[in-house]
Amino acid sequence: MILRELPPGELRRRLAGSGLRLRIGPVVAEILSSFRTVETAVALHYAGHEVVPDSDFADFHVAVEPPPGVRRWVAPQAYFKFDDRSAFLPLPAAQAFPLLEWGLNWCVSVHCHQYLIVHAAVVERGGRALVLPAPPGSGKSTLCAALVARGWRLLSDELALVDLSGATLTPMPRPISLKNRSIDVIRTFWPEARIGAVVPDTLKGSVAHVRPPIDSVRRAQEPATPGWIVLPRFEAGAATELRPLSKCDAFMRLVDSAFNYNVHGRAGFAALAEVVDASVCHTFAYGGALDEAATVFDDLAKA
Amino acid sequence: MSPDVVWRALNAHAIESREWNGECVLYNDVTGSTHQLSVLGSLVMATLLAHPSGIPITALVRRIAHDADDVADDELQAAVEQTLAALAELRLAASVPI
Repeated sequence: MILRELPPGELRRRLAGSGLRLRIGPVVAEILSSFRTVETAVALHYAGHEVVPDSDFADFHVAVEPPPGVRRWVAPQAYFKFDDRSAFLPLPAAQAFPLLEWGLNWCVSVHCHQYLIVHAAVVERGGRALVLPAPPGSGKSTLCAALVARGWRLLSDELALVDLSGATLTPMPRPISLKNRSIDVIRTFWPEARIGAVVPDTLKGSVAHVRPPIDSVRRAQEPATPGWIVLPRFEAGAATELRPLSKCDAFMRLVDSAFNYNVHGRAGFAALAEVVDASVCHTFAYGGALDEAATVFDDLAKA
Repeated sequence: MSPDVVWRALNAHAIESREWNGECVLYNDVTGSTHQLSVLGSLVMATLLAHPSGIPITALVRRIAHDADDVADDELQAAVEQTLAALAELRLAASVPI
């Protein structure tokens, strides 16, 4: 059963009670929260995800809850809990859903060492994955959303899960996180996108999430083989330009962007080398012309 | 550099490398560090790894000149010496007395 097929009231009952177990790519997360904003956002963004029975194993047990005492009412806050322990400092309650998303990213990046995990967006076309590793502010998520709008399959907006053989990338489709001006940019570029509430004043500015396409969620058990590594860089007003990148430079960028490369040692080196070996590597500069940018990648996929 | 030494790779058993278009990336399992080497750095390292008991610098320069279809002149020798010093600093190579 997928989440949107739950009977009325069942989502709230699970979030506030026994926990909602969702299959998110290769993991199952049990989520608890009494925040209405979390319930609304989960209902929107995880509508196509499989709801797993309570009796099934959950990899992560997480909760986003208000603190006990007066902070429940005065300048209310939200805590992210992992295995019933606070994992981070609390944030304003209005940021409860972004906190859940950041918390889930943290769960995966520090625990899923069956993969080499790279901070990168990953989309797929024709069975081949386009990996977009980039630091914050480089326009990675905006570009990712634009490509998904053009029919690329979303594997992840944030975490590239590289099989340790280096032969495949495992999907983990979750909401695409947009920040600040990119929210309106994507609203204009992709009017059909299901974008959740804008949450202002976070550490990253205003944040809103785009629901992952149902088809991407449905195909979450279909891995993709490495096809392209592209380092995106947004610079307002810059011309759209795709340039070849040496494989060694691409490799070092993946190393710099990996969360757990040091955990894997030789195996991590070998896995990344396989990914680079199988990929065509480029840098990509763009200045906001998303149509033009998407066309560049459509052409890349055809070549 | 002293002619009475040979150069060899340090912890050769712990090194993994991958070469693309003459450049290479290299992982050292002893230090946990990953390095990107230039074309010359890659040639020097590959030559050292192919000579586990060590190689004198003059022979190293000749070998690299041969592999790179270059001339074993003073300029190449200076570049190789500079590369060896950099590799030593990264704990990838060391000189040992003959």
